[in-house]
This record gives sequence, structure tokens and C-alpha cells, in this order.
Amino acid sequence: MGKQLFRYSEANKEKFLESDNITFNDGSTVSPEEIWHYLTEEAPAKYPSAFEVNLYQGNRGSRDETLPTSLKTRYLGLTFSARMEKAKDNGKSIAFIQGGQAVDPYTAADTIALRPGLVNQWNNGLEYGNDINKENLRRKKSKEKAFHDMSFEACQTGGYEHVQAGDLRIDVIAPYTVLRCSDISYGVEAHRHGPNKNVKLLNVDYPLRFQADKPWAIEYFAKNLRRLVNTLDEVTGRKTSENDLLKAIKLHNTGRRLGTELAELWWSADVPPTNSDDRASMVSLGNLEVHGDVQASLSVLKEAKKFIAERVKNGVKGHAVADNPKRLFILGSCVGINGSRSEDAGAIVVGRDDQWSHCSSLVEEVGDPFYNLAKATLEYPYEQSIEKRAQWTIEQIKKSRADGVIFIHNWGCNTQAAISRPIVDIIKRETGIPTYIHERDLHGLRDEQEQNRVNAFVEML
Amino acid sequence: MSVKTLDVIRKRLEERPDELRRARENGLKVVGWVGYNVPEEIIHALGFIPVRIAIGGDDRLVEIGARYASSKTCVFIREIVGAFAENQDPYIQQTDILAFDATCLQNYRAAEVIEYFFKKDVVVLAVPRNFHLDEAKEYFAHEANEFTRLLEERAGAPLDSARLAESVALYNDIRKTLKSIYTFQASKDNVISWEEVYDLIQAGDLLDKREYLSLLTQTLDELKERQHHPVIASDDGDCRIFLSGSLIPRGDRKLIGIIRSVGGRIVGDDLWSGILPHLDLDIKEISPAGVALGYLNRTPHAALPYLDLESDRRLKKLQERLSEFKAQGVIYHTLRYCDPFTFKAKETKNVLAKSGIPLLEIHTEYAGSDYEAMKTRVEAFVEMIKIKSEIAEEQGVLVDA
Repeated sequence: MGKQLFRYSEANKEKFLESDNITFNDGSTVSPEEIWHYLTEEAPAKYPSAFEVNLYQGNRGSRDETLPTSLKTRYLGLTFSARMEKAKDNGKSIAFIQGGQAVDPYTAADTIALRPGLVNQWNNGLEYGNDINKENLRRKKSKEKAFHDMSFEACQTGGYEHVQAGDLRIDVIAPYTVLRCSDISYGVEAHRHGPNKNVKLLNVDYPLRFQADKPWAIEYFAKNLRRLVNTLDEVTGRKTSENDLLKAIKLHNTGRRLGTELAELWWSADVPPTNSDDRASMVSLGNLEVHGDVQASLSVLKEAKKFIAERVKNGVKGHAVADNPKRLFILGSCVGINGSRSEDAGAIVVGRDDQWSHCSSLVEEVGDPFYNLAKATLEYPYEQSIEKRAQWTIEQIKKSRADGVIFIHNWGCNTQAAISRPIVDIIKRETGIPTYIHERDLHGLRDEQEQNRVNAFVEML
Repeated sequence: MSVKTLDVIRKRLEERPDELRRARENGLKVVGWVGYNVPEEIIHALGFIPVRIAIGGDDRLVEIGARYASSKTCVFIREIVGAFAENQDPYIQQTDILAFDATCLQNYRAAEVIEYFFKKDVVVLAVPRNFHLDEAKEYFAHEANEFTRLLEERAGAPLDSARLAESVALYNDIRKTLKSIYTFQASKDNVISWEEVYDLIQAGDLLDKREYLSLLTQTLDELKERQHHPVIASDDGDCRIFLSGSLIPRGDRKLIGIIRSVGGRIVGDDLWSGILPHLDLDIKEISPAGVALGYLNRTPHAALPYLDLESDRRLKKLQERLSEFKAQGVIYHTLRYCDPFTFKAKETKNVLAKSGIPLLEIHTEYAGSDYEAMKTRVEAFVEMIKIKSEIAEEQGVLVDA
């Protein structure tokens, strides 16, 4: 018996077709008509797992058919793998980076920057026709191989196995090392013993322990950023200037401002104007890196703000959101909860600190762009002391009017797990909001145990 | 193999907590330090009493530590956090200030957690990942100055250059003497075991430094008297094991005991808690930056990533030491969630395999539940090495015949 697949309703097509094209880095565009065709014809055949009606699906994509942005981010997600392949065929350079960092220097150096989740997404999209169980098995199998080559205690392997096998044509592994995570630095190092000698390696050395007030630390990180750009230039064969970086900073500041404005607009609404997944996918557009194409992200983001403003003005409630839902704020790196199932339980996710910390950190546009970028990066709220990070988180929780906070860490994520308790302690002490800490496995299907805990928490709220 | 001075040292260790208490009553301050790149000479020269906080082997404290720093933190750090929570360890009780470095990320997280939950006065020295680059050294020099400034504030006096020179000279003498003693344990007909030397090294984490040097000198004199020309060579039927990987602090002797119990003889180590930090420390300039750079330029800690396998100084040092101590196999000890070493286990095994040195990874924690499983694996490894040696010996005899 075939799996039941979700289908977009023709009833919403006409309104969707009135929306804007998506414009890509290379100047090409895709029209709403083409997007509609892809989502209703091509994608369900290529990626049935993405459309499967299945409770255990962690990231099924939003089903808000009346929000054009929802369909467009879905489109960008589903075409991600094909677009990366095309970019490579056209000679584009691709770098592996850390999650939680901005990508301004990579943009300046004409390089696509992919964090671990996106590297995995690229690989996932290379195989067609899988249902979610087959897809899950495939992912588990490749991770097991990577765990064998690295450490079975790695929280994630950042696509090591695919890069080393040559399945993913990544040119350079150059993350901001130890920013929020330790496994990435060991993961970069692990590439030195792999068979793929073509991939360049670089530690962009992010100084630890709250260094934003130390001029020598800013200078040091700025030198690391210069080294990064030089390394990226070695791959592309071009010469990135300070002016290129300044242009990239301005572009990314535009994204960060729009992302921040959109989040604040969303929070200002009496009723949540979208569901959890759409909120997350729209706000994350602010970093412009999420779909491997900064211009595409920017064009969808600009339009999204317009739709959300309209919904807020008209008091429209997001698709499948309960009346008076319990508002959850999620903390921790590379994590999230199952949005749709949590909505079924009467909750909504109103914010995350991950991807938000650097989205809300604008870079000064006057002066040495390397220094300015280094300073802004060292000031990421997520990277500050326990007290400072907690205070910033409390501000976000208050702005988002959250009723409860969940700190999630992946199995093996020592760096975030270690400070999860003090962070939630401070939040509880200063806001009185209930919190809980939740450990989960990064890989595989979201299971019942995790959802049980979320649902019980929501019920308690 | 009884070396008399070792008994004196054991006795002095028993007396040390009381001695520290009295010193504090007389106005001295104790700095507990944790890390690999903490320049201890600076602490000493500022008039503080430096004490290394490195304890292990107590599963109960690990459980307590997990309540504060999560069960995903490495076992060693969890135990330290647990010990601060419980506050029963005599050295932790006597600590006024804590100095951590950020070589290992979990170490620096421990500093944050201890500062937050137990309201300890913590100073942290940042450590660059790109430790081998000039700009990283320049950055680290600034960090060393800042670290010194923070300690000066706590000492209520600036660092005196002459006193720093004295401390550097004292520590250099300690390191030199330790290296000499270390040779004896690996020799044929040895009169001191590696285990005794290991305990001796760790005694230096706690004892007064001048007294420690004097005791080391006595130990060395005693050894020289009993063994005039130590030659590093195998005794008949030896299975010479080199211990590598995650640190093994005081209180944790599970693996060491197992190796001995199944007939293995440890002849060397490159542990963070053993001889390694005392090697190759060349302080070129008497200043905070000069001392700190001396530390950074040693064999790097596994927590600092290095991206070229061929020129990795850590692996080169390991190979050099294996050859020097005529080791036949490596037992690579990894602690639960100790990423700096677990990530490198397979790679190290492959590198050593090229020179015919077998490596056994033992991944463990402080619970006793894996004791028998570890014993079985270590026993098989020791047996394998012995059989390999016997075969090589027989083949040698045949060739000679």
C-alpha cells in the first residue's frame, strides 16, 4: 500500500501565483508558476518523504498553504541539493562552516557557506524516491560510518563522511572554530586523516571566554578573518578586497535587520500570525545563508515581511495553531521540537536563541570591515558568560511573551549541555517561567519520548 | 623496589592539607589550577600557593557533578564539579582562587559552572586553537598579561621580575630532575616503577615547590646510588606498555592497576597528568608572556586542533617517546566524552600501525562496572604482545643459528 502524501490544494494556487519571483545569486529567477509546478508535481515524486503524512516526521514543512512564503521556503529547501550540484557544475566554491556564525566573509569571497545541517540536507537530496523510514535508515548508515572514522561520541559529524567520500564537492572546511561547539574543531581536524586530500582545511580561531571587550582579541579574530578570506581566494582564484567585505556586511546587515523586524512584528501580534515552522523558517532567512543563496533568501524575506504585516494587521492566526496556545521558547544549538505535533498539543514555538543570536548582531559599517566583523562576532549574545547570555535570553523571552522554556541539547553536545542548567536556573529565577532541559538524539526520526515530554510540559503550562 | 624518599613524600602528602590550612590562617592564599597551559610559575612568583586540582576515580562525585554540568560533560570534569559541589576534598576546601585555562573547552565550561554555582573566584586564561601561528602567539602573550593582571589584583601586589626568575629557575630544576628520575623506571633491572614515578609527578601538584625539588633530588640521589647506569631495555618476559590518551588524575588507578595485574609493565606515558607537561618547556624570556609562550610551545594538547597530520608534533612526540622507552604497545585511554582524545583514537592507531606498534583503545569512566571487560581486553593485548615478542625472539634465534 502506498504512503499517504500531502498535496497542496489547487484552491490556493491563484493567490500564490500573484506573489513575487525568487531571484537568485546568479541573477536567474523562478516564478510562482514554476514553484507551484515543482511543489505539486516534481517534488512529491522525487522526495515522497517530504510529503508523507506521518506523525514521526520531524521536519515535514509547514502546511500553511495560504502563506506564499511557506511554499517558497519549502521550494528552496527541496531544491537545495539540485541547486548546490548546479552551483558546483558552474564552478562555484563551497565552504563548510559552523552553525551559529554569520557568513559575511564567505559571501564577500563569492563562496557558498554551508553549516552542518545544510551539508546534510545537500546529501539527503541526492537520492530520490525514499519514504521517511528509508531516508532515516540511509542517514543513520552514513552517520555510523562517520562515527567510526571520528568518534561515536560526536554529536554530529558535519558531513565528514560525504566530504571524504567525495559525494559532496566541498572545497574548503573553514568554520569559526569552537564558536558554541567543540566537536566542530575536532571534526575539522579529523579531515586530515581522510582520503580526500583536495579539501582545504582552516581553523578560523574564535577566541574563547567572553573576549568582546579585549582589543587584542578582536585584532586576533580579525586576522583570522583575513586568513579565511585569503584561503577562500586560493580556492576561487579571485582577490577579495576590503570593499567586497564591506559590501557583504551591508548586504547581510540588510538581512539581519529584516529578520529582526520580522521577528518583532510576529511577536507584536495578539495571535500568532503563523505556525512554529513558518516563523522559524522566515526568521532564519535573516542570516541569508539558510538556502545556500543569499539573494534568494533576501528576496523571499522581503516579501515575507509584507505578508506578516498584513496578517498581523488583520488578526490572522497561523495555520493549525490552537486558540491561546502556550508559547514556547527553545534554547540550544542545532535543535528544535516538532512544530506541528507541538501545535497539536496546544503549543507554539515563539523563538529560539540559535540562529537568532547572530541575526540580531549588526556589524558596524564604518571603519575596518575585518575589525568590525570580528568585534560583532565576539559580541554574539550566545557566546557570552552564563549571566550575560541568560540576561539576553530573558529579554528575548519577554519580547516573545513565552510561557515556557525548553533547553535542548543533542547527545554528545558537551559545550551547550554543560551550561544548560545554570542558564535555565537564571531564567526561572528572574522570570518565574517554567523550564526544562531535554537531551535528544540529533539523528533519526523524532520519537515519541521526546514528544511526550514536550506535551507533558505544555499540559503543565 | 622500595625507594625510601617515596615514603617521606607519601607522609608529606598526608600532612599537606593541614599545612595549607595553617598557611592560609597566616594570610597566604591558595590558587587551585586546572588545565594544560596554566603558567604555574606566575602563580608561584606572586606569592600564592599553587595546587593542581586534578582528581578522578570517584563515580559518586561524577554523578553529583552531572547535576550541575550535565551528564554529557567528560568524566574528569564532572568529578571536579562534583567535588566542588560536595566540598569535602581537602585541597578544594583550601582553595581561595581558581585558575583555569581554556585549552579544553570542557575545562573552561567547568570554570563557568563552578563560578556560577559555587561562587568561586575564577580567573581564566584563554588559549588560541591556532597555537602554532605567530598571530596566535601574540594574542596569547596578551592573554598571559591579562591573566597576570587579574592575579596581581588578587595578590594585592605586582609581579616582581626577580621573583618570577626565581620561580622559573625552581620549576626548571623540578622538570630537569623529574626527567632524570623518569629514565630509571623504564630501565632494565629498575629500582623504581613507572607507577611510583607517576605518583611522584602528581605529588608535585600539591607539595610546596621548594620542598618538592629537595625530595626529588633525594629520590634521584637514592636511585643513582642503587642503579649506577640505568639502561632503557627490556627485562626478560617484559610486556612494555606505553600509556597515552586522556589524563589519569590522582584517585583513578583502575586502568593502571589492571595493566599491572595482567603482567603488563608501563614504561612511559604522554598523559596530561604525567610527564608530558614537564617536557620541552623552554622559557626564553622572564615575563608573563615569556613564561606562557614557553607553555604554549610545548607538545600541544590534543584539544588544540592541528590540521596537518604529517607535521603533528603531538604524534611525533608520541613516536619519539615510544622509541626512547622501547615500548611494544600503546594503551590509549579515553574517558567518556573526552572528545580531544576519543576523536584521535583511530587516527593514532593507524599512524602507529605503520611502525608496527599496536594500540588498544580503552574507553572508560569512573564506574567499576567495566572493570572485568577492561581487564579481559588488556589481558588479551598483553598476551598478544608477549606472544609476538616470543615469536620474534624465536625467529631471531633461528636466524642466529
